[in-house]
Amino acid sequence: MSRPKALDLALGVLDHQLVDPDGRRCGKVDDLDLELEVEIGEPARVTAVLVGPRYWPGRVRGPIGRLLARLGGGDGVKVSWDDVERVTSAVELARPASELGLGRGDDRFRPLIERLPWA
Amino acid sequence: MKAIFQVALGILAAIGGFVDIGDLVFNVAAGAEFGFSLLWVVVVGVVGIIVYSEMCGRVAAVSKRAVFDAVRERLGFGVGLVALVAAQLVTFLTLAAEVGGIAIVLQLLSNLPFLALVPLAFIGLLAAIWFLEFEWIERLFGYAGLCLIVFVVAAIKLEPDWGSVAHGFVPQIDTGDPLVYLYFMVGLLGAAMTPYEVYFYSSGAIEEGWTPKDLGLNRLNTVIGYGLGGLLSFALMITAGALFLPQGIQPQLIGTVALGAEVPLGQVGLLLALVGILFAVGGAAIDTCFSFAYNLAQFFGWEWGKYRGPARAPRFTLAWLVLLVLACCVIATGIDPVMLTEYAVIFSAVALPLTYLPILLVANDRAYMREYANGRLANVFGVVYLVVILFVALAAIPLMLITNMGQG
Repeated sequence: MSRPKALDLALGVLDHQLVDPDGRRCGKVDDLDLELEVEIGEPARVTAVLVGPRYWPGRVRGPIGRLLARLGGGDGVKVSWDDVERVTSAVELARPASELGLGRGDDRFRPLIERLPWA
Repeated sequence: MKAIFQVALGILAAIGGFVDIGDLVFNVAAGAEFGFSLLWVVVVGVVGIIVYSEMCGRVAAVSKRAVFDAVRERLGFGVGLVALVAAQLVTFLTLAAEVGGIAIVLQLLSNLPFLALVPLAFIGLLAAIWFLEFEWIERLFGYAGLCLIVFVVAAIKLEPDWGSVAHGFVPQIDTGDPLVYLYFMVGLLGAAMTPYEVYFYSSGAIEEGWTPKDLGLNRLNTVIGYGLGGLLSFALMITAGALFLPQGIQPQLIGTVALGAEVPLGQVGLLLALVGILFAVGGAAIDTCFSFAYNLAQFFGWEWGKYRGPARAPRFTLAWLVLLVLACCVIATGIDPVMLTEYAVIFSAVALPLTYLPILLVANDRAYMREYANGRLANVFGVVYLVVILFVALAAIPLMLITNMGQG
């Protein structure tokens, strides 16, 4: 795995697009799980990427964040950092979205769209 | 021939993006009110949209990121959400105005009742989006919209005082009615630099699979496309200045715009003008409809793109479908499309800074843009225009209220 030693998390990872090995867009990095028990002077390590409306209240405080999370269905997925293959302009995943539980929003609406004529 | 097809994105950006109902209304109204003295503002707007579209196309080709990817990354979830809501409101208003424009032109062509033509506009747009490939949407609406060149012929045929026209390109302020003049300045800049143009252009570059090899094409697209858009805007304003100003006509209807071609060129002129307006406004309706869905998908990380097909990008597909239905419903209530257009353009001006700042930041990020990051020229222009649109954004709504939407 080619992972840079240190990464500007706020700028380089947070809010970036997640893409699976098939090139499927499957969510944004809505938040990050950090390992807090590190030696003083050592950089914090990311343990997981948090994806989904469940994590939006952490980004927008107060009732608006909660309302958005509810509108979005309230789902959340924790993707282990070990499943991250590379960080380019997108966060590229090592496994397909379906295996990681990502892209479920699109999956939910697919049957509806497929029922339309000529879809 | 190949080159002509290759600049299709630029031509559609020009015809369906630049010259849309907002430009038709504002350029003609500006010409009817102030003659040629606002021509220089169009130049400022055209250069601005070229600068930022070129940046967007470059960011898309190099980093595969469209505008709302950049907005989300650079502004974060919270502020990005404010930008999203503003963008979506303006885009929806614009789409409704464009659908109204289509129905009006169809009415002028067919004499059928307006309300019967809204569903026809809906079916036409739906069929074009559903059945045509992205490239063919660009070609059909872009090239058919070129009928608008009839206004260039009309402007020349009207034999305006070319000395006064040339003087119109010198920056000035009308001292007779400075606030109304300023209102039109803001409107013309808002119409020229409407945010959905860059949403559509950057996402379109990804739809077409641009890579750094296409950067030359990107430059060509923006300069030719928006240059052409600017030329058409000049022609509309000159026609209105030469024809409507002396007679004291204030165009309140889309039909009056077409009159500008009919008076000097007769029935053929009128027909070409109407067909041109139909496809320009139709193209803009598709641009805005897609832009809305692009923005949502890019902000929330959904799969998106016409190139994916409806089943692979279900939420994206649903977003534009629902929006199109809603816009048609709004227009079917009988709301005046010209008034809707003015609101759409003025609120666009307010949404401009939140769209353009993240693009400027990302275009400067060497980590992604490598050797393709902004050079000094792009940055000087980028920053100057950011200051300009900041003023425009702050002044837009106060001017709209003080001047009663330019009525004085």
